[in-house]
Amino acid sequence: MITLTLKEQPNVPLEAETLSPDITSTLTHDALCALPVQLGKRQRRLDDFFTVEGEASDEITINGDARKIKWIGRGMTRGRIQVEGHAGMHLGAYMKGGSIEVSGNVTDWIGAEMTGGMIRVRGNAGGQVGAAYRGSLAGMTDGTIIVHGTAGLEVGMRMKRGVIFIGGAVRDFAGLQMRGGTIVLGGGAELRTGAWMMRGTIVSLKPLPLLPTFAYAATYNPTFIRILARTLRNLALSLPYEEREGAYERYTGDASVPGKGEILVWHPQANATA
Amino acid sequence: MGGKITCTLGEVKNRADFIVYWGGNPAECHPRHFSKYTLTQKGKFVPEGRKGRTMVLVDIRETPSARAADIFLQIRPGKDFEVATTLRALVKGQRVNEATVAETGLTVAQLQDIVDRMKRAKFGVIFFGMGLSMTRGKHMNSGSILMLAAELNAFTKFVCMPMRGHGNVTGADVVLRWTTGYPFGINLSRGYPRFNPGEFSTVDLLVRGDNDAALILGADPGATMPQPGIEHLARIPTIVLDPKVTHTSRLARVHITTAVTGISAPGTAYRMDEIPLPLRPALTSPYPTDEEVLRRICKAVSARPAWVPAPYEGAGIS
Amino acid sequence: MLRINGGTVYDPANGIDGVVKDIYIDGERIVAPPTGGADASTSRTIDATGMLVFPGGVDVHTHVAGGALNFARGLVPENQRAARKFLHGANRRAGIGGMTPTTFATGYLYAGMGWTTVNEAAVPILSAKHTHEELHDTPIVDKSCLVLMANNEIVLDLIEAGEVERAQHVVAWLIWAAKVYGVKAVNPGGVAAWKWGKNASNLHQTIEGYKTLTPADIISGLAKIIDDLQLPHPLHLHCNNLGNPGNISTTIETMKVLEGRRAHLAHLQFHAYGGDDWPTMRSGAVEIAEAFEKNPNLTTDAGAVLFGDAVTITADGPWQHMLHQLTGRKWGNLDVENETGCGIVPYVYRDRHTVNAVQWAVGLELLLLIKDPWRIYLTTDHPNGGCFWRYPEIIRLLMDKEFRKEQIKQLSADAQSRIVLGELDREYTLSEVAIITSAGPARALGLSQKGHLGVGADADVTIYPARPANDDMLFSYPRYVLKGGEIVVEEGEIRAVSEGKEFVFRPAYDEQIEEYIRPLFQKVYTMSFENYPVEIERVRGAEVVTK
Repeated sequence: MITLTLKEQPNVPLEAETLSPDITSTLTHDALCALPVQLGKRQRRLDDFFTVEGEASDEITINGDARKIKWIGRGMTRGRIQVEGHAGMHLGAYMKGGSIEVSGNVTDWIGAEMTGGMIRVRGNAGGQVGAAYRGSLAGMTDGTIIVHGTAGLEVGMRMKRGVIFIGGAVRDFAGLQMRGGTIVLGGGAELRTGAWMMRGTIVSLKPLPLLPTFAYAATYNPTFIRILARTLRNLALSLPYEEREGAYERYTGDASVPGKGEILVWHPQANATA
Repeated sequence: MGGKITCTLGEVKNRADFIVYWGGNPAECHPRHFSKYTLTQKGKFVPEGRKGRTMVLVDIRETPSARAADIFLQIRPGKDFEVATTLRALVKGQRVNEATVAETGLTVAQLQDIVDRMKRAKFGVIFFGMGLSMTRGKHMNSGSILMLAAELNAFTKFVCMPMRGHGNVTGADVVLRWTTGYPFGINLSRGYPRFNPGEFSTVDLLVRGDNDAALILGADPGATMPQPGIEHLARIPTIVLDPKVTHTSRLARVHITTAVTGISAPGTAYRMDEIPLPLRPALTSPYPTDEEVLRRICKAVSARPAWVPAPYEGAGIS
Repeated sequence: MLRINGGTVYDPANGIDGVVKDIYIDGERIVAPPTGGADASTSRTIDATGMLVFPGGVDVHTHVAGGALNFARGLVPENQRAARKFLHGANRRAGIGGMTPTTFATGYLYAGMGWTTVNEAAVPILSAKHTHEELHDTPIVDKSCLVLMANNEIVLDLIEAGEVERAQHVVAWLIWAAKVYGVKAVNPGGVAAWKWGKNASNLHQTIEGYKTLTPADIISGLAKIIDDLQLPHPLHLHCNNLGNPGNISTTIETMKVLEGRRAHLAHLQFHAYGGDDWPTMRSGAVEIAEAFEKNPNLTTDAGAVLFGDAVTITADGPWQHMLHQLTGRKWGNLDVENETGCGIVPYVYRDRHTVNAVQWAVGLELLLLIKDPWRIYLTTDHPNGGCFWRYPEIIRLLMDKEFRKEQIKQLSADAQSRIVLGELDREYTLSEVAIITSAGPARALGLSQKGHLGVGADADVTIYPARPANDDMLFSYPRYVLKGGEIVVEEGEIRAVSEGKEFVFRPAYDEQIEEYIRPLFQKVYTMSFENYPVEIERVRGAEVVTK
C-alpha cells in the first residue's frame, strides 16, 4: 500500500497522471518521491506536495483535499486508488480496469472515455461524467461510475456502453447524444435529459421534464430492470422494480435524430398497463 | 458535433430567399447587416431585393429588428434548444409532443409552417447570435442550429452563420487554429497546445482561480466576469493592454495604453464569415501598438533563462 | 563552401543514376567542384559514404494552408488530441501534427521527411490573404500555390459568352490579385451548381443556373487561357465526377476535351473507378493508364490512398455532402461567394472495406502501370487519401513487390477480384523514386532550380541512410536534410529553422481590364474592390516569376 498525504496545496492545478497503479506498482520509494507532477508550466516532484509512504504497490491511498489535482488514475488498467478527501478533474479518464473510490467530491470529466473499471464517489461530481471529450465520437465504452451525491452537466455524454449511477440530482443534458449504455438518475435531472440520444437507457427515479421529441410508450416493469437492480445491489445501490405499487413510464426518443433511446421514469403509484 | 455548413456573406446577398435571425438583434448590434449583406441588397439571383426574400426573427422579445421581419417568433426565454430540436424532428417528418412544444411559447403548427417554408426555399440561411449562444444550453444551442442547417441540405440549399461581434474575435479564432490547432481556450503549459472548454476557457479559469497571473489584451473581463473571477483578477498580477482605462485596468497591477487597432494601428481583421480584410489606419497615435508592446515584452522574457517544457512522453496528456 | 562527400547520388534530371560523387554547395546553390582541391575552401564536410543523396522532395499537390484546411482543423479537435505533438523549443514553435497539422508543424514534418518544396493546391482569391499568412508561418520549405478558377462566376460568364480574350485578361488579373503561382480547376461547374445544391457530373450538360455553359467549355476555355498566358505550370485539374464508380468515362472524356493542350490531372486515383455503382465498383486503372499514355500532353499525380484515418478536404462540395450522407461522419461546408467552396468530412480507409481496398490498390496500380515516371508523381492529395508524412509507406509498396503482394493477401477475396495489383511485378528503382518525388514534380511546376542537383540548383538535398536503422522504411528518416545550403535536419532533429520562399507568377494583362472587373465586383461581392487583391508585402519571401 502506498499512502500519499497532501502537505502542500498547489496554487494552480496540479496534473498528476503519474498517480496510477500501473506506474507505482514497480517503483521504489525514492522513485515514487521523484515522480514528476506538473504544476502549471513547471515539472515538480511528487514529494513537493505529498508525504510519501510505501512503495511498489498497485494500491494507492491519497489523503487530503486534492480537488486541484487532475488526472489521478488516468488510463489505469489495474489496482486500486482510494481518495480520503476530494479529487480533481479527469479522475480515471481513459481508465481500463481497477477501481477508484473517493470519500468526498470530484469535479468534471471523471471516467471520461473509460473502457473498463469502476469509479465510486461518495460525495458530488461535476459535469461530463463518463463523457466524450470535445469532438470525440464516443464517451465511456464500458465500466461503472457511481456518484452518491449530485452531478453537473452532460453526464454520460456520447457514452457507448457501461453504467453510470448518480444518487442525487443532475443538471442539464444527462445522456446527451447517448449511443448506448445505462444511466440511472436517483435524484432526477433538470432540463434536456436524453437530448439527441440514439440508443441507450436512462432510468430516472424522480419525474423529470422531457423534450418535445420524446413520446410516451407504455407503463410497465421491464424485465431487464430486475437484472440491473441485482447488479446494483451488489454495489450497495437499490433500484425499485416489481413493487406492489409502482411501475416505469417508458418514453422513446430522441425523434430529432431520430433515435431509439428510452427514458424510464419511476412512478411509485402507477399500475403497469402492459 | 455534426458539422458546420456555411458560406461567405456574398452567397447570402446573391442567393438567399429565406433568412432567419435567431437570438440576435442586427438592427442594433450589426447595423449594416441588412443593408450590406442580407435583406435590402439586390442579389445576383434575387434581383427584386427585399421583395424576393422572407425574413424570420426568432427572439425572446420584440427588438427593433422585428420591424424588418416578415415573421416574428417570440420564444420564451431559455427555450431555444427545445424549439431547434423540435424543428429538427419536424424536418424529418417525426412526431412531437404538442403540449411540451407549447411551453416554448410557439405551437407545432407555427413550427411546421417554418419547416415547410425552409424546405420550399431556394437558399436558406440561419444567422444565430449571443441570445442563443450565451443562454442556457450555450454551445448546445449553437450546435442545434448547426445540425438543423446541415440536415436541411437533404431538401434544399441551407447554411448557417454565427453573428460574431466584439472586435476581431473571428481573427483570433482563425490565427489560433492555424498556429495551435484549436480556436480558443488553449493551454500551452506543457509545451504543446491543449484544448478543453470549461477547463481552460477564460471565465472558468478565473472563477476557479486556476491561474496566478493574467495578461488582458483588448478585453474587459473586470466588467463582464462573475464576481469570483473579478476578485481573482484583482488578487493576482494582472496586466492590461488597452486603448482605454477599463474596469479591468482599475484592478490590474499594470495598465499600458495602446493605439486603437484599425484607427491608428494596422493589421488584418477577419469578418464573421472568416474573410480577411486589411485595416488601414486613418490616424496616428502617440501610443505604441499592441504588437510593439508584446514584442518588447517577449524580448524581455527571452533575455531570461529559456523555459524548457518537460519531455512529452507518448502516453502524455492531450 | 559545404561538401557532401562520397554519397551515392540520384539526380535523374541530370542523368545521374546511383553514382558515387561529391556535391559542392556555396551559399544557397549547388556549385561546380572547386578547381585546385576541395580542402582549402570547404568549411564543412558531410561524410555521406554509403548513403543515398537525393534532391529535396517536391510535393506537387497538398492541402496545408488557408481557409479550407483551417476550417478542418476546427472540425476535428479529437484528431489533434491523438496526433503527434511538437514541443516548444529554443528554435522551434509548439504545434500539432496529425492529419491537419498546424502550420509550424507542417514545415517541420515536411523537412523532417526530406521534402523541401510544397505546392498548396487550392486557394480562393477572397481568402488568399489568409493562405499567404499561413504559408508564411510554415517554416523551412519553399512554397507555391494555385488559385481556384473553374467555378469563378465572372470567368464562367465570360466563357459562356464566348469572350475569350477578355476572359484571359480577367484570369490573369485574378492570378496576380491572388499572388499565386498557377491555376486550379476543381469539378468545373460542379461547385457553381452546388451553390444551388446540385452538381455537374456530365461534361456536356448545361450547368445549373447557366444557359449553355458546360463543364467541357470551362475545361477547354481555361486550358487555352493558361497556355496563352504561358504559365509555368499547366492547368491543374480535379476532374468532374470524383469518387463515383464508373467515373473512368468522365476522366477519359476530360482528356478528349483537352484536345492535346497541356494539363495536370490531380489525384488520378479518385478518378479511376470502373463498375456502375457501389456494389460493382472496381479498379479502372488499366483503362485510365492506357488513355493517359495516349495523351503525352498530360501529367498527373497519384492521389494514393493509405489505410487509416484521413480527413477529406476538397473544393468539391457536392461530393462531400454525398460522403457525409453515405457515412454519417461529421461534415463541414463553406461556399465562397462567386468563386468556389469547400467541403470537409473526416474519414477512415479500412482494408476490410471493399471500396477502400480498391481505392488503395488503384493509386498503386496507376503508379505501376504508367510507364514514364516523369509524368506521374507521388501524392496522397493530403490529407484526403492519407497524410503526406506517410509517403515513405507508398515508396516501399512501389519498390518491394513481395511486401506489396503480402499486403494484397490481407484484402478480402472480393476486393482482390476487383483489382489488378496482384498481377503487377514492376518494382520502382531508386532513380524512379527520385523522379516521382522530386525531379518530375519540379519539372511539371516549371521550377527549374528545384528537383535536381546540378550546378545552379537550389541546394535542397536529402541524404538517406542506405540501410534503414530498424528495418523500417528506407525513406522515413533522412540522416541529413539541407535547404538552401543550410542543414535544417540532422539525425531526426530540427537544427535550423529558416523561412522559405514563395513563388508567385505575374502574368501579362491589359491594366484596363480592371475597369471591367470593378463594377461587376462591386455588384456581386461584399467588400471594397480595393480590399480584394493581396498586397505583395503580405507574401513574405516572395519570388516573382514572369513568363
